[in-house]
Amino acid sequence: MINIRILLAMTFILLTAFIGGCAENPQTSPMPPTEPAQNEQQQVVVPNGQNTPLSSLAQETMNVTVYSATKDAMYLVAEHQAVPKNTHPAQTAIELLVAGTKNAELVSVMPTGTQLRHISIKNKVAYVDFNDKLVKNNTGGSASEMLLVAAIVNTLTEFHDIEKVQIMVEGKKIDTISGHMDIGEPLSRSEKIIKK
Amino acid sequence: MYRIVLSFLLLMVFMSQQIGMAATLSDSSSSKTELANARWLVHKDAVEGTSKLRLVIDTTGPVQINGALSKNDAPQLIINVKGATLGKIDNSVDLDGEIADKVTFNKKDDNTSQIVVNLSSMIEDSDYQIFTLPSGTSSTKTFRVVIDINKPVPHTNYNFTPGLKDKVIVIDPGHGGSDSGAIGPNKTQEKTITLAVAKNVKTLLESAGAKVLMTRQTDVDVYGPNASGVDELGARTRVANNNKADVFVSIHINAFSNPTVGGIATYYYRNSGYGAMLAQNIQDNLDKVEGFQDRGISSAGFYVVKNTQMPAVLTELGFISNPNEEKRLNTPQVQQQLAQGIVQGLDNFFAQAARKGGGSQ
Repeated sequence: MINIRILLAMTFILLTAFIGGCAENPQTSPMPPTEPAQNEQQQVVVPNGQNTPLSSLAQETMNVTVYSATKDAMYLVAEHQAVPKNTHPAQTAIELLVAGTKNAELVSVMPTGTQLRHISIKNKVAYVDFNDKLVKNNTGGSASEMLLVAAIVNTLTEFHDIEKVQIMVEGKKIDTISGHMDIGEPLSRSEKIIKK
Repeated sequence: MYRIVLSFLLLMVFMSQQIGMAATLSDSSSSKTELANARWLVHKDAVEGTSKLRLVIDTTGPVQINGALSKNDAPQLIINVKGATLGKIDNSVDLDGEIADKVTFNKKDDNTSQIVVNLSSMIEDSDYQIFTLPSGTSSTKTFRVVIDINKPVPHTNYNFTPGLKDKVIVIDPGHGGSDSGAIGPNKTQEKTITLAVAKNVKTLLESAGAKVLMTRQTDVDVYGPNASGVDELGARTRVANNNKADVFVSIHINAFSNPTVGGIATYYYRNSGYGAMLAQNIQDNLDKVEGFQDRGISSAGFYVVKNTQMPAVLTELGFISNPNEEKRLNTPQVQQQLAQGIVQGLDNFFAQAARKGGGSQ
C-alpha cells in the first residue's frame, strides 16, 4: 500500500516536471550565438570571481553579450563571451558588465564600486538593482549617463525573454542617474548607439 | 512488479514528449502556412526616449508582406500577408489605445491574409516599418511578421518670425545648488560654468531685444535642495512651458571616464523638426569656438528637451573631465565665445524657421 503511494507520488512528480517543461521557460536562456562582431573577444570568463572548479571549464558554455563604450564616448560595442552555462545568465551578463571590459580599445561604462544587488524578470521586464555607487560614482556627464543606461539595457535585452529594463538603486526605482536622462520607467534597447 | 509499472509510466512520459515534439515539427514543416499568434508591446528607446508600438505575428512558415496606410474610413495600416491563411489566431486583438486601438486578421483570398491595424491617429509613411523575420535556431523563435509604429507627435503650429527681438527665450543653466554636476580633474564644478555662460547669453540676448527667463540666476536648486531628479528637472521645464517660451536652451558641460575625450555636442528630442533645426544652428556656431572638437547633434530623450512644449536643446559645451577643456572653460573669454555661439545660433534659427513658415513639421 505504502509502495503504491510512493509510486503515485513519483508519477505526479514526473508529470509535473513534464508539464512544467512544456510551459514557457521562465529562466532567461542565452541568445543563439550571433555573428562575430569586430573587436569581439571570445574568452572563457568566470563570473564574479567565483572559484569555479577546473572541471566546470569542460562543461557546456553559453554565450553572453556585454556592451562597452568606444574610447571617444560616442558608441557602444558588443563583446561576446563564452561562460560556463548556468541557470541565471542575465545575472551573469550584468556581473560581466560590472567587471568591465578587458579590451584596451574599449571603455567600461560602470562607475567604480558599482555592484549588482538583485535582478528579477517579470512579464519580459528585467528589474535590475544596483548599489548607490551607480549614482554616486558616475562622472556626472550626460555622455557617461547615456552610455551607462544604454549598456545596461542593451546587455539585458540580448535575452529573448527580456524586452524592457527598469534600472533601480538600493531597491528603489530612480528617475535619473546624473540629471539628464529620464529612466523612471522600463526602457527598451537602443540600436542607434551601437557602433555599426 | 512496481518497478515494471514505474518503467511503463516513465516510458509514457517520454513517449508523449516525443509525440508532442513530432506534432510541433509537422506543423511548421507543413506547406500550409498560417498566422499563429499575435503579441504587442510599447517600447521606449533607452537613448532617444521615443516610443513605438511593436506588433509581432508568429507565422508557421515564411510569408511575403506588403503594407500601406489607408485613410478611407478611419486611419488604418493594412498589411497583406501572401502565402498565409488565418490559423488559430484570434480575430482581433486590442492594442495600447494611444498609438493603435486594435488589430484584426481577415481572409483576403485563399492564399492571402490581411492584417488591419486601426491607428489612434493618422501617421506618416516614415512612422511605420514592416518586416519579416526567419525562424531562429532556438525553439522559441518562429517565423514572424513585425510591425513597428512610432508614437505620433502632437502637431504644434509654430509661426516664427526672424530676429531675436521680443522672443521669449528660456535659458537653463544645468545643475546648481546641492547638485554640482560633473567635477573636473582640477575641481571645477559644472554648475559654475553653466551659470557663467548662461549669464553671458542672457546679457547678449537682452541687448538684442529678447525677453530672457533663467531657470536659476544664482547657485541654487530650482525645485529645492536634494529633490528627486524629476522634481528638479520638471521645475526647469515648467519655467518654459508656463511662460509659453519660443525656445528653451539648457546649458551643460559633459564628462566621461576617459580624460582625452572632448568636444561640443547638442541634443534635441525627436518630435517636431524644429528641435533638430535649433540644435543644428546652435552647434554650427559653437563649432566656431576654438579648441573644441565638433561632436555634432543627436537626438536624445533627455528630460528637459522631451518635456518642453517648444523647440528645445541641451547643449554640452565641452568635457570638464578633459584637463585642457576644463582649463579653457574657466576662462571668461571662452565663456563669452560660447555664449556668442549660442546667441548667433538662436538668431540663425529664427531666420531659418521664419523662412520655413507656419506648419507643424
